[in-house]
This record gives sequence, structure tokens and C-alpha cells, in this order.
Amino acid sequence: MTLLRLEFFKGRRRKIALICLACLGLQTAWMCVNLLRMEPEELAQGWMQLVYTLLLVDAITLPLTMAALASRTCELEHKENTWKLLETLARPQALYRAKLTWGAILILGMLVVEMALFVCFGLALGFPREIPWGKLGLTVGNVFLVSLGIYALQLGLSLRFVNQAAPLAVGILGSFTGLFILFFPQWAQRCLPWGYYGVLLQAEMLWDPVTRNVSYAWLHTAPSDYGLLALWLVVLFAFSYRVFVRKEV
Amino acid sequence: MPIIETNGLCKRYGHALSVHDLALRVPEGSVYGFLGPNGAGKSTTLKMILGLVRPTAGGITVFGKPMNGANRLTILQQVGSLIESPSYYGHLTGEENLRVVQTLRGLPRSDVSQVLDLVRLTGQGKKQAAHYSLGMKQRLGLAAALLGFPKLLILDEPTNGLDPAGIQEMRELIRSLPRRFGMTVVVSSHLLGEIDQMADQVGIIRSGELVFQDSLAALHQRSEPHLALKTTDNQKAGDLLTRLGLLWQAEGESLLLPPLPDERVAQLCQTLVQNHCGLLRLEERQKSLEDIFLALTGGKEGSL
Repeated sequence: MTLLRLEFFKGRRRKIALICLACLGLQTAWMCVNLLRMEPEELAQGWMQLVYTLLLVDAITLPLTMAALASRTCELEHKENTWKLLETLARPQALYRAKLTWGAILILGMLVVEMALFVCFGLALGFPREIPWGKLGLTVGNVFLVSLGIYALQLGLSLRFVNQAAPLAVGILGSFTGLFILFFPQWAQRCLPWGYYGVLLQAEMLWDPVTRNVSYAWLHTAPSDYGLLALWLVVLFAFSYRVFVRKEV
Repeated sequence: MPIIETNGLCKRYGHALSVHDLALRVPEGSVYGFLGPNGAGKSTTLKMILGLVRPTAGGITVFGKPMNGANRLTILQQVGSLIESPSYYGHLTGEENLRVVQTLRGLPRSDVSQVLDLVRLTGQGKKQAAHYSLGMKQRLGLAAALLGFPKLLILDEPTNGLDPAGIQEMRELIRSLPRRFGMTVVVSSHLLGEIDQMADQVGIIRSGELVFQDSLAALHQRSEPHLALKTTDNQKAGDLLTRLGLLWQAEGESLLLPPLPDERVAQLCQTLVQNHCGLLRLEERQKSLEDIFLALTGGKEGSL
């Protein structure tokens, strides 16, 4: 707990909240453009469209945001090599857990605020009054798990490379992957950690070529996909944990 | 019992053996000067003692306990360190930086102002560390190491970046630490003069190997005092010296003799004059500490 408290203490004046706000701002602008264009007849399926579009936006914005957060928390240690101070005061395992937990708290906070914001938008625009809390909660949970895995990967990369250009490049690649991931077949999506934004999607878009109508439907994620995600999380956590613990100062 | 003891300590980086078979013994309550040229392995050794770098071979004991994963943090609770350069968060103030260390060590907040006072940074505590001068950053690093007044202090080139007044102040502070706080201090440096004025025990490392380890007085004893004689006819003087049963060797324009009692010296001068050998110079010489150090570390070849 002490190390976790210190992570927040060390973050002062680093404008880390700005990263989260920038991400939220971009998502809000993007979603507003989509939601405000909805026709009245589309409002009945508003929640499904919200979930579908939001996940697409998350798949593009969150990988780079995860890279930025991981970079920020590691760069402040790299700058004046405070690792050699910290590792005489705490075990590397504890330092890793503190940085991971710090990131997890920020990610969860961001996602909860994001969902709360769009629930309010949805209600204001006239979405059905019966809010599908289950699906929305599952969406937040799924996005949190996928983002946490990506954050762990980025944490390991940001620790490994003093120059943050390499980890940030991976973050940008991740965002590009997110941009196109929904066009990949499901088997391809499962091969990349960024692909799980698409694999765990809770709504799908249906296009009728005859009527040229777009509609939405809820999706149910197969347990095997959660199993695969768990496997990915184990691999990503193990990678970043190993980098932390084996690092020589 | 030494406060730090290493046995067969080795560190290999790839094919290069950075530290080889080191047997350090740091007596408790001493100021131990760890000397060596740049790249000799001083910082690597200190990092291994702190557990920041894993040794390739050998063992380390600190406070009589083996330095391993289980004991490491318990041992380091009583160790303060400043390795290579001061570690600090530039965006935090001096006080905030020390609060990080104070929190992790579980110390009272009052210790922060106490160590700031000790290193003379009291008025600068509210300034962001990034705006400190090099000397102030060095003092901040030392303050962080002194927090909690640990039993053992390990300082790697602590006077880097300090002006002459700052160096003198740092030196006086380090010398006073065993007396004032009962600390043992290990100071590494490549500056001989600094160690000469601070330390009472010296270890000299060259290319990863310990070539000398003893008291500073013992190092000074290697200065090999001798007499240097210059006359108007050194050839004749040499023959006279041989007849007197004195061992001598020529070096440039002088004849070098071992130290002699005063009466013998007076007798020698008389003999030279009586034999029409004009005495031009008779002086006492000894190797400087620098000469001793360079001889032990291989001179220019020992440095990077």
C-alpha cells in the first residue's frame, strides 16, 4: 500500500491526468459525432450501437493511452535512475505490483467515467429507459481486462527501453491494429492481445444487403474466449514481471 | 568483525571479467576509501554489495549476514547509499524527494529537515530538484543516503560536481560521520588526494582485482624514503660509497641511497669533501602517494 500511495505521490506535476482526459476527450468527440447523427428510429437500438461503437473507439484510443501511461510511470524512474535508489528500499516484485496496480486504478477509473458519460448521453438523446446494466458492466469489465493486459506489456517494454520511443511505437502499432481489427477474421483477432477488444465485443452490427438497413444485436462471448484472454494475460503479466524482477540497475 | 566482507567476488559481463576474486574487508567504524582508476570495477563492486547487480560468483556478508534475496532488504534498512550519481525526481521538490525515502524507510517526517540541515540544503527544500545546481543535487543524494542515520553509508564519488569549498565541506562531513553517528563509511573515488584526506582504511582496485587493502598509514609506508646525492664527480662518489659499504644506484644525475642515520650522513659528506668530491645536492626523497597508487594500478595503462 505504501508503494502504491507513493506512485500517486510521484505522479504529481507529471500531468498524467491529462493523458486520461485527452483520451476521454477524443472518445467523447468521436462518440458525439456518431450519436448525434442517429435517426429517431435508430434510438431503439441505441444501447447496442453505443456498445458497438464505443468498443471500436476504445480499440483505437486505448492502446496508445496504455503506452503513454506505462511510459510516464517508467520514464520518471529512468530519467535520474531512481531504480538504484528504489531497489535498495523495496523488492522489485513489490515495485512491479505497485506500478501495475497504479495503472489498473487509472484504467478502471477512466473506463467507469467513460461509460457513465455515455450512459448520460444516451439517456439525454432518448435511448430506451431500460439501461442494459449487465451488458454495459460486461463491456467495461472486458475492456478493462484487455487494456490491463496491454498496459502490462507496455510496462515491460517501457522498463526495458530507457528511450521511450520503442514502447510508444508499439502503442501506435497497437492503435493501428485496433483500427482494423474488426475487419480481421475472429481467428486472427485471437492471435493478438489488441484483437480481444473485438473478440469480447458484446454487440454486433448486422447489414441487410436487400433492405440496406443496419441493425444491431447483442452478442454473447464464449467461455473459451475468456479462457484465451486469461492465457494472454498470464503471458503478458509474466513478461513484464520478469523484465522488472531480472533488471539489473 | 568486518562490517562488509566479500569472498571470491566476481562479476562477468559477457566475456569481460569486471570484478575478479575480490576479498574486501571493511572494518566497522572506519572510513574506508575504495580507490581505483576509471573502469576498475569500483561501482560494480558497490552495486553488488547493495544487491543491485547479481554477482557471477562469490559471497558477500554485511553486518555478519549473507547478502541474499531473503536478507537483502533487512540488511539495507541499515544502509544508505549514493551510487554513481544522485537519484532524484526532478519534478518533485527536495523535501518531496526525501519524503519518498522517508516513507519507504518508515522514518518520522522530522528526519527530513534534520538531514537537509546536515547537508546545508535547508533553504532549498521547497525548490524542484530539477532546478538544483549539480552540487545541490549531490547534497540531496547524500541527504537521502543519510536519512535514518544508517549504520553503513556507501558513497560512490560523492564529491563529483562540487566546487572546492563544497568538496572540503563534504570531506569534513564524511570524516565526522563515524564519530558523530557511529557510522561506517565506504567512499569510492578515483581521486587519491580526496581519499588521503578522508579515509583511514584503503582498498585499491585495478582491472577488477584488489591490489592493496590496509590502513592508510600502511599505504604511506610504501613511499620508500631514500637519499639522493649529486656531486661534481658521481663516478668517484660511487666508488667511495662502495668502499664505505653503502648500497647505491644511479638515477639520472643522482646517486640514490637507502635512508641513513644522521651521523652516517655527516660522515659521508665529510668523506666526499676529503676526497675532493664536491657535494652539490643531498636531499631526502620519497614516493608520493600518487606514485604508489600509479605503481599499484599500472600507471597510465591502468586507466581508461
